Amino acid sequence: MPQTRSFDPYTENGGTILAIAGQDFSVIAGDTRQSEGYSIQTRYAPKVFRLTDRAVLAVNGFAADGNMFVKKVKQRLEWYRHAHAKDMPLRAIARLIQTMLYAKRFFPYYVYNILGGIEEDGTGAVYSFDPVGSYEREACRAAGAAQSLVQPFLDNQIYFKNQVPAPGTTHPAYLSLPDVLSIVIDSFTSATERHIEVGDGLEIYIVFAKTRDLQDFETIRAKNVHLIQELTVAEDGERIFVLRRDLKKD
Amino acid sequence: MDHFPTNWGRPRNDAFDAYGTYPIQQRPNNIKDNFNGVQRTQQPIVTGTSVLAIKYKDGIMMAADNLASYGSLARFKDVQRLHAVGNHTVLGASGDMSDFQYIQSLLDDLIIEEFTEQDEHTLGPAEIHEYLSQLMYGRRSKLNPLWNSLLVGGYKDGKRFLAYVDLLGTTYSASTIATGYGSYIAQPLLRKAVEGREDTLTEREAQAILEESLLVLFYRDARSLDKYQIAKVTESGVSISESMALRTSWSFAEGIRGYGAQTQ
Amino acid sequence: MSIMEYNGGSVVAMVGKGCVAIASDLRLGNQALGISSNFQKIFPITDHIYLGLPGLATDVTTLKEQFRYRVNMYTIKEEREIEPEAFAHLVSSTLYERRFGPFFIEPVMAGLTKKPSGEYKPFIAASDLIGCLNFAKDFVVAGTASSKLFGVAEGLWEPGLEPEDLFETISQTLLNAVDRDAYSGWGAVVHVM
Repeated sequence: MPQTRSFDPYTENGGTILAIAGQDFSVIAGDTRQSEGYSIQTRYAPKVFRLTDRAVLAVNGFAADGNMFVKKVKQRLEWYRHAHAKDMPLRAIARLIQTMLYAKRFFPYYVYNILGGIEEDGTGAVYSFDPVGSYEREACRAAGAAQSLVQPFLDNQIYFKNQVPAPGTTHPAYLSLPDVLSIVIDSFTSATERHIEVGDGLEIYIVFAKTRDLQDFETIRAKNVHLIQELTVAEDGERIFVLRRDLKKD
Repeated sequence: MDHFPTNWGRPRNDAFDAYGTYPIQQRPNNIKDNFNGVQRTQQPIVTGTSVLAIKYKDGIMMAADNLASYGSLARFKDVQRLHAVGNHTVLGASGDMSDFQYIQSLLDDLIIEEFTEQDEHTLGPAEIHEYLSQLMYGRRSKLNPLWNSLLVGGYKDGKRFLAYVDLLGTTYSASTIATGYGSYIAQPLLRKAVEGREDTLTEREAQAILEESLLVLFYRDARSLDKYQIAKVTESGVSISESMALRTSWSFAEGIRGYGAQTQ
Repeated sequence: MSIMEYNGGSVVAMVGKGCVAIASDLRLGNQALGISSNFQKIFPITDHIYLGLPGLATDVTTLKEQFRYRVNMYTIKEEREIEPEAFAHLVSSTLYERRFGPFFIEPVMAGLTKKPSGEYKPFIAASDLIGCLNFAKDFVVAGTASSKLFGVAEGLWEPGLEPEDLFETISQTLLNAVDRDAYSGWGAVVHVM
């Protein structure tokens, strides 16, 4: 059998992403480490990006494809804005991502996408995709190097799987923002402990529906003033914040 | 009209293929050219090893040795692997040197075009890096890469810039970056010396840590050379030094006995 | 596919306050086909040591008998019951004997070490298929769902859990992890010592 060496156009850059939908908010998080093999390329390479005031896209897998894909999605959103004088609704962005990914079905973007944000009806939403565009709306999803570590933890904490409610009560249909943030932070600290490609830093994007009262968030913000930044552009619409934290660097 | 009998249909077998439909008649492929079609996927031939770069107080410093290897042969020992691009940027290349020369000519054309515009806008390191990222990613997407790992460093409008792009189109930015063996051997040394101190690290300290790293690389990387250059980019522009020599010490060699544990 | 994944199955052990727990699923499969939902993978070695054997099922049966023999010989010769740490080293040497044709098992041990004062100290350990021991202080995992077990255990475990709480923690760890693994599940068993 003759052997040939050929150029592999893909590589894996590690990292993990996670998104959880609340009733009127959505949380999308990713660590900031970019690695190749056993080397850390950089401790800060963002994987989560604001698309619009109501949509955030996290991309994970092969970073060159991920960054290029985000660029192309942003370009399509800008064309939509010029053509329709409004931002693209979240479920439309999800469908757009499917068609963009499937267009390269025979030389795929090697990225696992998670789109999070606020739907037209004001509910929190998470859409997750495979590299060739298969997608689904879910309450929560983890992707990337530590997916197998994080997803079962989320099944237990978000969907209350294998848990029986106390007699006479039911499990809450939606979790509060502080609970969701704790689960996100614990997921990443756990993943950092047990997976070498996860660590360095954590960026959590929070998107709030237009109608949502931000009281509970303001208390969190007051305690973490220098860690939280607002990214909202428009007035009177959805609001979007990013919370940055450190993760272990080893 | 096909004159070659071996390209004509072979006899059919009435038992299972009465109309001679299988295999599907193939038209002969008589195209011939020196490259058997298009040349794509490659291997690097004449190569440069590590490039190192750091951010320091006044800007960026980048270092690379003067060697272009031909496999294990140290073929060209006076090669400049650091290239100034305009007044704000320096590009350091490892990997295939012919692909680097092609990139240099593309960038030179770009700078000339920009110059002729005379619109008071100059291409800064961020633009050069973006251009190279798109170039490299585009070539990898045609499965015909420019086989390099490039470091782009620069200083413009009071801001320092340092980023990496390679043959896959992978990019990243940090305050210390190294390519090739440098990413294993030099990067830990650079991170220890620089991380957290980018705004106070002096020019002398920056040069010292780069030289120390190049020294360790010369000891440990079998495809390196003890002749090197350092480029500096600050608000006053780009300057690439003359070639300098590393001061190595091999006197320990006389004391070696055996292959490792032996001391007598 | 890997021989370690042929039959499927997973085991986890955790340390608590004055107690240990070890748990496993009950599945035996032939690749994707499930055959038994009653396949035991955790065996008592002494009153104070339990051994979990995830991996190739034929080796589970062989090793459990091998260890029964070796521990009996130990008891006869030493005229005392084997302690967990000694047993762990016995596991290690038994596996390393087959270094170049190993058993396809990654053993997990849980036990209580008898201290001179008469008190019992919690003990857990794990090994790779050629005998490299891991003496963890918190928890150990093995099997086809090991990466999932790592994730949930790291999220749920905390030091100083009382027996009732340790039971809940290890159960939730096992259940939620195996529910994400096609080759583990079909029942579970938990031992708390």
